[in-house]
Amino acid sequence: MSQTIYELVDDLPAKSLTTRMLGALDWVVPGEWQNIVGFENTIRHVTGEKNEARIQKIGERAIALYNDKTQGYQRAVWLYQTVDSVQGLGGFASFVNKIGESVGFLSFLTKITPQADTTQAVDFGVKLVTEIVAFCKINGIPGDRITDFVESLADMRHESLMRMAALITVDGVLPLGPDFMDKALGLIDRSGVSGLQENKAFAAISAMIPGGSPAKQLDFIKEGVGGIQGWTKSFVQQKHLTPVSITEKLRGTIGGLESKGDWIAASVDMTTNYFEHTGIQSVARSLISRAAAEV
Amino acid sequence: MRTILESRSRWAVLALALLMGAGCEKAPSRWESAQTQTEGKQTSVAQKAVDGGTFNQFFPKQGDGYDIVFKQEKSGFAQASLQQGGKELALFSIFDTESNPDARTKFEGVTDKIAGYPIVTEEAKSLSALVGQRFQVQVRSVDAGFGESDRKAWLEKFDLTGVAELE
Repeated sequence: MSQTIYELVDDLPAKSLTTRMLGALDWVVPGEWQNIVGFENTIRHVTGEKNEARIQKIGERAIALYNDKTQGYQRAVWLYQTVDSVQGLGGFASFVNKIGESVGFLSFLTKITPQADTTQAVDFGVKLVTEIVAFCKINGIPGDRITDFVESLADMRHESLMRMAALITVDGVLPLGPDFMDKALGLIDRSGVSGLQENKAFAAISAMIPGGSPAKQLDFIKEGVGGIQGWTKSFVQQKHLTPVSITEKLRGTIGGLESKGDWIAASVDMTTNYFEHTGIQSVARSLISRAAAEV
Repeated sequence: MRTILESRSRWAVLALALLMGAGCEKAPSRWESAQTQTEGKQTSVAQKAVDGGTFNQFFPKQGDGYDIVFKQEKSGFAQASLQQGGKELALFSIFDTESNPDARTKFEGVTDKIAGYPIVTEEAKSLSALVGQRFQVQVRSVDAGFGESDRKAWLEKFDLTGVAELE
């Protein structure tokens, strides 16, 4: 194991480009996400405990549960970290591709890099199934239960809801537009098994995606994207999410980025790690709330 | 001249780095001993722990404007959230203390009881009962308005007799 759970939570930055971006997305899910960092601090926040001896017991139980691989929390952290660490490459591919499109003499880049929209669509699908599998690991549900995940969307809160909001805005609407759900399904379908296998994020986590073969895993991704379609569409409508509205909010908070939506999405992908950051926070919350019930 | 300056600044940088390194040494963490004891071990849940899914039937039933949303379901543990109009009020849980017998010690010598089962009341945000000398049933406040009397009223709504009969 690379890092202990208390180190992971202690090392979460109180302020970074990621936290600035998430802060800038507060208008999408008002008040849901607070940047709670530090293991002890998280115990106090999640449980409301003030008694030091009880805080110690809760922390120790949480550590034992996290260290026990069979409980799934370690795997969930690994998923959130891994999909983010390679996600930058997806963003980079989009970025390079956009340079090729907009700068005439670099047009050859469009031939050697994947189509930006396809990369974004596959990245979106891979990130979504990462969330589904991690959700199942954390909550103790068999890993292929998309329906359980879809049902839980209505009850999503805190870091998890912020992560979904960021996924929809930054990895969905921003690069592909408000109707990105239909577009993404079409693009994932067209990209097929070979497009999926070329995707760096998929390659990194494919062993954890249910299905057994790339073709079945592609079906699982399509099923996942299809499953959240209704919820996501109404989310986008209710919050009036458009590339323009998102770009304006992000531009105000994160200076120095291009104003074109797809450029921002590519840059955001490369430079932030919101899946890992909020993923560690989600795992810590579930772990600690369970530990508090087991001491 | 330039070389001397360069070498001086290099030493200064090195000295600064060493000083900073020394200053960054971490004090031992309060969690270190727990980490060492459990690292790489798959022993957090007892083998004979009751399957978490078995517990679900004993939770309070939803209705009267309240929703019960099941959250985590692991071996020896189940957790649900009490909600009203989408707002989370409290967390309910049943835990088989076979996985952490130390949890029972706080019930030793307590006189307060609910339905004949000992309860621990001194916790700030939670109320726990030890049922059948083995299962910890707990109500933990999430919303600030969900107070002590609410915790007690909801703890009484669990099927505690059913839990006590589990083996």
